[in-house]
Amino acid sequence: MTQPLVEFHDVTVAYGRRPVLWNVDLTIDRACLFGVIGPNGAGKSTMLKAALGLVPVVGGYVRFFGEPLARVRTRVGYVPQRETVDWDFPVTVTDVVLMGTYARLGWFRRPGRRERELAAECLDRVGLADFAGRQIGRLSGGQQQRVFLARALAQEADIYLFDEPMAGVDVRSQERIFAVLAELRDAGRLVIVVHHDLRTAAEWFDRVALVDMRLVAAGPTAEVLTPINLQRTYAGRVELLEELGQAVAERGRTP
Amino acid sequence: MTPWLWFSIRPVIASASGTSFGLTYNTLVVVTGVAAVGFAAGVVGSLALLRRRPLVGDAAAHATLAGVALAFLATGRRDLPTLLVGAFVSAVAALATLVFIRRVTRTRDDAATAIVIGVSFGIGLALISGITARGLPGGGGLEQFLLGHTAALTVRDAAVLAVVSLLAVVVVAVGLKEAVVLSFDAEFAAATGWPVGLLDLALVGIVAVMVVVGLPAAGAVLVTAMVVIPPVAARQWTDRVGRMLPLAGLIGLAAAVAGVAASAARPGLSTGPLVVLSAAAICAVSFLIAPQRGWIARRWSAAVLENQWSRGRVLEVCLQLSGPDGRDGVDPTAVMLRAAGDSWAGRRTASRAWQSLARDGLILPGGSGLKPRRGDAGNRWQLSNAGMAMAWERRRRIEAWNHVLDEAVESGRDWLTLDLPDPVDVLGSAVAPATSVRRAPLPVATPRVPESQD
Amino acid sequence: MTLDPNLTVHAWSMATAAAVSASCGLVGGFLVVRRMSLLGDAISHAVLPGIAVAVLAGGSLGGPFVFAGAVAAALATVWLTQALHAGVGLAEDAGAGVVFTSLFALGVVIVTLAASRVDLDPECVLYGILELSAFDRVPVAGVLVPRALVTAVVVLALVSGLLASTWRWQMFTAFDPAAARAVGVPVTAVTTSLLAATAVAAVAGFEAVGAVLVVAMLVVPAATAELLVQRMHHVLFVAVGVAVLAACAGWIAAWYWNASAAGMIAVVLGCCYAVAVVVAPGDGILARGLSRLQFSWRVACEDRLAQIWRSCEAEDSPAVPLPDAGGLLERLAGMWLERSGRVNRRDGLVTLSEVGRREAEMVVRSHRLWETWLGRHADLPADHLHPPAEWLEHHLGAAMRERIEAELPHGESDPHGRTIPPESNS
Repeated sequence: MTQPLVEFHDVTVAYGRRPVLWNVDLTIDRACLFGVIGPNGAGKSTMLKAALGLVPVVGGYVRFFGEPLARVRTRVGYVPQRETVDWDFPVTVTDVVLMGTYARLGWFRRPGRRERELAAECLDRVGLADFAGRQIGRLSGGQQQRVFLARALAQEADIYLFDEPMAGVDVRSQERIFAVLAELRDAGRLVIVVHHDLRTAAEWFDRVALVDMRLVAAGPTAEVLTPINLQRTYAGRVELLEELGQAVAERGRTP
Repeated sequence: MTPWLWFSIRPVIASASGTSFGLTYNTLVVVTGVAAVGFAAGVVGSLALLRRRPLVGDAAAHATLAGVALAFLATGRRDLPTLLVGAFVSAVAALATLVFIRRVTRTRDDAATAIVIGVSFGIGLALISGITARGLPGGGGLEQFLLGHTAALTVRDAAVLAVVSLLAVVVVAVGLKEAVVLSFDAEFAAATGWPVGLLDLALVGIVAVMVVVGLPAAGAVLVTAMVVIPPVAARQWTDRVGRMLPLAGLIGLAAAVAGVAASAARPGLSTGPLVVLSAAAICAVSFLIAPQRGWIARRWSAAVLENQWSRGRVLEVCLQLSGPDGRDGVDPTAVMLRAAGDSWAGRRTASRAWQSLARDGLILPGGSGLKPRRGDAGNRWQLSNAGMAMAWERRRRIEAWNHVLDEAVESGRDWLTLDLPDPVDVLGSAVAPATSVRRAPLPVATPRVPESQD
Repeated sequence: MTLDPNLTVHAWSMATAAAVSASCGLVGGFLVVRRMSLLGDAISHAVLPGIAVAVLAGGSLGGPFVFAGAVAAALATVWLTQALHAGVGLAEDAGAGVVFTSLFALGVVIVTLAASRVDLDPECVLYGILELSAFDRVPVAGVLVPRALVTAVVVLALVSGLLASTWRWQMFTAFDPAAARAVGVPVTAVTTSLLAATAVAAVAGFEAVGAVLVVAMLVVPAATAELLVQRMHHVLFVAVGVAVLAACAGWIAAWYWNASAAGMIAVVLGCCYAVAVVVAPGDGILARGLSRLQFSWRVACEDRLAQIWRSCEAEDSPAVPLPDAGGLLERLAGMWLERSGRVNRRDGLVTLSEVGRREAEMVVRSHRLWETWLGRHADLPADHLHPPAEWLEHHLGAAMRERIEAELPHGESDPHGRTIPPESNS
């Protein structure tokens, strides 16, 4: 039996001591464009971050190709939300894209010719070849997002995790980004995308997971995006979960 | 660099050896040691600045005093290496306390740092004053660690400082790529599998080492300045990490040597304040004259932009007042008033724009092409063909730009993040002066990024 | 009547230290709450050149000229930091670091160069001259009072007066500057007045404990108070109390151990803070440890009761064999359950008393309600429902159970087909 590509097993995630994502059980076993959809603050980004070990998991585990992340790091690529970066940082576009090659280079080795060629190719794929030497603060919003996309491509990973890649990006850039994502999927990679827009989600993704502090439903898009499921996700049954989370954090107070 | 180094060593030699140009070996080694410290402090401090924690060494620095005193009390020895080891231990203890306070209590981060700074310095001060008051043998002179005193450095001491500094620089050079990724995008670094916590610890550790090594030169109170000011100055000059670090090192080196030289020339002045003032002077100069980021450069490019806009406005008004066939003459004063709006400053720029356009031959005085007007004896000008073409081109581009904006508004997105060309590129080039000045684009304002949740 | 001269010296010095400390503590309360501790640090360093220049220009230490110089230096620091931020794009903390270290260095150089001409000792800059303050006396209403005390009391009056008169505005700005501005509070003026108060308090503190330790007097009392109490009024009150206590205790300790008063005051402040970290109600280390222990105890008891109840249900008999004891906590819990009459043991079998049975049922009820809720509202396979419920059953109280039950159809059994015990109204 082949291992599933990604497996979330009963994953509960907490910030500090307060659980924000409850008992998520999800298996993805084939390469596709997989959307994670849900209302704001529902824990979608948290799910991604927990899978990557950026946020502590207090219950359950996440496996990639049947292994813990530490063993298969070079096969998993991550594109974070744009706001977490300092745009005044003195690096050029090429420097940022080269960072994608660092995982394979390992400690203390410098990027060489092969890495630079790869970086140039990735920049070309996202249409930023002319901006290679520019400091990253001197780009527009859509261009900045594409730099991070190029960095992800340079990681040459088998599974990609994107956190809101379309946030704050105009329609034309969105379509360009989506085209690159589809290319990745067609090349046999699994692309998991946290996305906020239901309409485009229905159009773009092969499979989706509906998340609202817990996994409401997951599977092929048409089957999952039903009125009942949408109601259960977006009509908010989470005050209960939030109060419970608070109670757990305070450890002993029973509401 | 050699002439500068020579120039600063001369007063040291003259006063130290009593002969001018007699280069004593001792003095040279001491100066080299201090120079190495200055260089390393600048390089290491750059990493801290990039990691957005420029003052991380401050708590460590103030705590070193207590370590120095404790080392003396514990071992009875006064040689520099012993005291510096004590300083390092207390610096690490202070940083550990800081981390503890942040993790365990509700106290805010900045208050926690201030608490550790104040209390650890108080402990140091209490210990040193106690040692001095009791007249313990060898205890006098520990006070020199407050504000720095290089005159008492031996050759061996300077050699130790130089070696540690060079080691620190080597460590930074080897781990540079890791440090840059960590500072730029810590989440990505963590996702790539790097132990962000450990790397941060290493960074803070190396800053603590530099703070300790800088004690003889600058003293506990001011040594953080050696780690903070040179990187800030260096950042003004370059946009690339690879150049910023060595430059910060050089600035630190120059400041350290200048400070030591000045203090040798004027005994009685501690070295610390002089080193800091030298660094601050270089920093102030950098703020002013650095290309692109410097204040003068920014005012200049702002003025150039203003001029371009103003020229555009004037052309537009000329076009409007030239009548349907473009052959009505225009009165300069009327044009400038309309282009300028209500402010005095606006009128000045409009008048400058007018003159600049006239110089370029885009507007011409008088002329037979003008339609005669009744009762008109005034000064009348008209747009030349080139000027007319430029004005129409500008109109076309503004319309195109508005069209793009309308589209963006309709699609409901925040237009500031659109994938659009720089408006100045679109509009400004249409009316640039004949002698083009290399325009420095202004850096994009960055939002303040909140610290990650713990 | 002759007083022991030592006693009067002590009394005057402690009074001076206390007054200075109280001013700093008051101002520090607002600085800490507004996350301006760094600015307090910066100002306390940066006032040095202001003071030095004022003294050089003929003012006397403690005179109004010096205060003016200090306030000017403080405002210059803030202005410079913001100008650097706006003009050159420099981050605020880096800018503050550059500005205040440079200004402090400048101040030290001025003081040292002018040491012969001026009444300002370079030592005083870092150590403060609290020890000597009692000997420099001026007549006030016929009594010889240390000049430093007079200054300190005046400063205390000024600072208290300023804060009292702008109290509501200061509070509002401290908690939400944006909302305050929107409502029409002159936020800039309020902040500037706070900074001026900091500078004034820093001057007084500077004379007593030297430049660097002023930051301890500004920040530590307020930070300590924040750990102990919640409301701003109380925070200021406690901050002043801690400040005065530390000043007096520090002075006495310094005298006893023959060390610098400035240093010892800072050390005592540190001890106060440490004590607060440990004993603070609710958040302190002790309190948290206790609550954790309490919780673990409750969990151990509830687990044991539930285990017995489930055995009874599974074997359909009121008496079951003694369950295996786990670790120390579980065995203690078992003993307590028997002692308190919830569990009766006889001949190697245990039964639940009425009280015990009701408590056990509430735990099992919580567990099964949660399993049912999860089964309906989350996409979890049936065999994954137990662990989360196992963990959460201890966190559900009566109110929560009611709410969960309200969302489930009536008479529902749990996903494993077992009945959910009803709520008992004990």
